[in-house]
Amino acid sequence: MSKVLRKFTMRKISILIISILISASISNAQGKLYNTLIKGGRVIDAKNNINALLDVAIKNGKIAKVAQNIDPAQAEQVVNAKGMYVTPGLIDVHAHVFWGTQPNSYLMNGDVGVTADGFSFRSGVTTMVDCGGPGYKSFEIFKRNIIDKSQTRILAFLNIVGEGMRGGDYEQDVSDMDYRLAAKAAIDNKEHVVGFKLAHFTNPDWTPVERVVAAGKLADMPVIIDFGGGKLPIEDLFFKYLRPGDIYTHVFTELERRDPIVDLKTRQLRPFVIPAQKRGIIFDVGFGGGSFNFNQAIPAIKAGFLPDLMGTDLHTGSMNGSMKDQLNVLSIHLAMGMDLPSVIERSTWKPAQAIKRTELGHLSEGAIADVAILSMREGKFGFRDIAMNKYEGSKKLECEMTIKGGKIMYDLNAIASNVNK
Amino acid sequence: MKRLSFLLLSCLLLLVLFVQAQTKTYSILIKGGHLIDAKNNINELMDVAIQGGKVAAVAKNIDPSLATQIVDAKGMYVTPGLIDLHAHVFAGTDDRGLSGGFSALAPDPYTFRSGVTTVVDCGGAGWQSFDRFKKNIIDRSRTRVLSFLNIVGDGMRGNPYEQDIDDMDAKKTAEKALANKDIVVGFKLAHFAAASWVPVERVVEAGKLANMPVIIDFGGDNTHPPLSIEKLFNQYLRPGDIYTHVYTELIQRDPVVDLKTRQLKPFLIPAQKRGIIFDVGFGGGSFNFNQAIPAIKAGFLPNTMGTDLHTGSMNGAMKDQLNVLSIFLSMGMDIPGVISRSTWAPAQAIKRPELGNLSVGSEADVAILTVRNGNFAFRDIAGNRNEGKQRFECEMTIRNGRIVYDLNAIASAAPRN
Repeated sequence: MSKVLRKFTMRKISILIISILISASISNAQGKLYNTLIKGGRVIDAKNNINALLDVAIKNGKIAKVAQNIDPAQAEQVVNAKGMYVTPGLIDVHAHVFWGTQPNSYLMNGDVGVTADGFSFRSGVTTMVDCGGPGYKSFEIFKRNIIDKSQTRILAFLNIVGEGMRGGDYEQDVSDMDYRLAAKAAIDNKEHVVGFKLAHFTNPDWTPVERVVAAGKLADMPVIIDFGGGKLPIEDLFFKYLRPGDIYTHVFTELERRDPIVDLKTRQLRPFVIPAQKRGIIFDVGFGGGSFNFNQAIPAIKAGFLPDLMGTDLHTGSMNGSMKDQLNVLSIHLAMGMDLPSVIERSTWKPAQAIKRTELGHLSEGAIADVAILSMREGKFGFRDIAMNKYEGSKKLECEMTIKGGKIMYDLNAIASNVNK
Repeated sequence: MKRLSFLLLSCLLLLVLFVQAQTKTYSILIKGGHLIDAKNNINELMDVAIQGGKVAAVAKNIDPSLATQIVDAKGMYVTPGLIDLHAHVFAGTDDRGLSGGFSALAPDPYTFRSGVTTVVDCGGAGWQSFDRFKKNIIDRSRTRVLSFLNIVGDGMRGNPYEQDIDDMDAKKTAEKALANKDIVVGFKLAHFAAASWVPVERVVEAGKLANMPVIIDFGGDNTHPPLSIEKLFNQYLRPGDIYTHVYTELIQRDPVVDLKTRQLKPFLIPAQKRGIIFDVGFGGGSFNFNQAIPAIKAGFLPNTMGTDLHTGSMNGAMKDQLNVLSIFLSMGMDIPGVISRSTWAPAQAIKRPELGNLSVGSEADVAILTVRNGNFAFRDIAGNRNEGKQRFECEMTIRNGRIVYDLNAIASAAPRN
C-alpha cells in the first residue's frame, strides 16, 4: 500500500517538476526582452550620426534598443557581430526585378529582369526599387507577380511609358506617355510607387522629360532620368527641367550618345555639376551593363563630386558582368577612395530620403528592423568598369547577415545562436 | 581629306589588330592554376589553353605569347565547369510550384557565380510541360540546361497533381525524352505520399524504355511508415539509377543512418557498390549533419553534389553549389573528392561523358576556384552548426570558351563583351 502510494506520489512529484521546468522555460522565452540581439558590431547609422561599437536589440520586428553592452541574457537569440559592421538594410534604388516569361518584353515581365530575393539578401539589401519596369498598364501584373511574391521589400518607379520598359518602339512612343494616368496609378498605389522613370528615349526632344516631370508634380513624387540618346545637354536638364529632389541616374556613363559629366577633352568635371547637386538634383550610380566608366567616376570623385545614391541597375546583363551586386558597387567606390560611412550612407539613409521613405534606412529605436551585417575583407581585389578597364582595391565588403522586419533572411557563416528551422 | 586619311588609318589599324589576333594559337590561356580533372587523373599545376570554344592544350608552362587573353590563376584551382544535377530552374509566373511557377529560379544568376556551367532541372517539367520549359528557360539561358523529365505528365506542379498515378504515363514520358534526347537525361519521381510502389515502377519503366537513369525523391508522409529504401535499392532500382536527398532525416522518410544506433545501415555501401548513385540534393529540407557525419565516417560518401536549388533553399542553409562543396570539406572530405563529385561523377551519372572533364578537344566549360582559409560555419536544415576552415569561392567561370564571370578581374586585356 505504502509502496503504491509512494510510487504514485513519486510520479506526481516528477510530473510536477517537469511541468514547472516546462513552464519556466516558456516564461523564460516569453519573458526575454528581445528576440534578437546583435552583439559587438560597429553600427553605422547616418541618420542618427552613429559610427560606434554598439549592440542592437530587436523585438517584434522593430529596433528595440541601440546601446553599449546590452545583456545577452535578455535575448532569445544572439548574433555575434564582433569585427563586423551593422548597418540599416541596404536600399537599392535602381534594380530591375520585373522578370517574367512574356517574349520580347525586356524589363517589363520579360527575361532580362531578375528575381529580387536571389540578389537582395545575400548582398545586405532589404529594399529594392524597380526602376521603371512597369508602366501604369502593367503595374497590376507587377504587383501580383513580383511585389506580392517577394520577401524583399519591393517599391517602384513607374515608367512614364504606359507599357513600361518593354524595349524597342514601345519606349519611343510619346503618345503612350500619359502623365495623368501615370500619376493616378502612382497615387492609387502609393504604398508601392515612389516616383516616375524616363528611360531609353532616343530623339532630341524634351517632351518625354516634360511629361515625366508633369507626372511627378501631379503625384508630388520625384522622377528618375536615364537620359537616353538624344544628345540633349544635361546642364539644361538639371537647371531647366528637373526639380530639386529629382534623380539623374547612370551619372558616370561615358557613352557617345550621352552628354557626360566629365569633359571628354579636358577630363575635368564640368563646372555646372556640383552646383546642380547643391541645387538638389540627386545623382545615382546606376551601374548596370553599360553605365559606369572609371574615366568619368575617378576624375569626378577627385574633383569632390560624389554620387548621392549607389543604385546597381541590376538585370541579367549586369549581374554577372562588372557590376555583379550591391556590395561590389560599394566596394568599387571604396577602391576609388570613398570611405565606408560614405558608401553606407549612400545606400541607406540617402536613398530612403530620395524616395521619401524616411521610415527606412536607419536604426532608430522603433524603426522597422531591416539590418545588414557586413564584413570588410582585406586583400588584393580587382574591379572592372563596363569598358573593361581594371582598377585594384584592397578592401571588399561581404554580407554576413541580412535581417528584414526582424527576421533573419540570410546568415552566411551561422553567426546566430538558437536557430530553429 | 583629313577624314579620309583618318578612316584609312583606322582600317589599317583594325586590320593589323585582326591579323594579330588571328595569328594567336589560343583565345584564352589559364596560367599557373592547379588543375583537378578526375577523368584524366590530373591533380597538379597545369596551364589550360582554349581555342574555338574547346580545350586546345593542357600542359605545363604554355607560352603566354601564344594567347590573346591570359587568365592569372596562380594560387587557384582550375576544374571542369561544375555540373549541378539537382536544380529547379523551370521558373515562371503561373501558380505551378517548380513547374513554371514561382518556386523555381532561372539558372544564370545562380550558376556562373558558383562555377556551375551545367544544371539538370530535376523533374520540373513533365512530358506535357516540356515544350514550355524549353521555350522559356532552356533556349533563353546561357547555362547549359538539361532535364530529368518528371514521370508526372504535368510535372512538379505540387498537389494534388503529383499524387495522380493516372498522369504517370511511362510510354509518353519515354517518347518525349527520346524526342528531346539532346536535353533530357533521365526521369524523376518525387513527392509521392502514399505507400505504393506503383510510381517507382512507372518511372523505372520509363527509364528502361528510353535507356536512361531515374532519380528518386522518396516522398512519403506521416500517415504510414516510410517505404523501405533497402527494398527500393535492391528490388526496384537498376545500377545507374539515382537516389537523391540521401542525408535527409525526416519522419516520413527511411534514413540511411539508423535513428537509434546512429550507425550507417549495413545495406548502403553494398547498394552503392551495386551501382546505385547517391545524390546530396540539399534543398530546403533534405540535409542533416546527424545523417551525413556518421555516414561519411562509416565510409559512405555521396556520389554527386546536387544542390536542390530553388527559392526555398537559395538563402537558407544550402545557398549555392560552392557552399554545398564547402560543407563537405568541413565534414572531412578532400578538395579532389568534392570536385570529382561535381564534375566527372555527375557527367557519368547523366551519361554525358563529353562534359565534366578538360580533355583536349572537349567543350571549354571551366571553373576557376579559390579555397579561402579562415573560420567559417555552416548549417543543416535543422539549424545545426558545423565549423570549417575552408570555403570555396568562384573566381571565374568559362562557358563554351567565353568568360561569363570574373570576380576579381583576373583576365588580361579583356575584349569587351
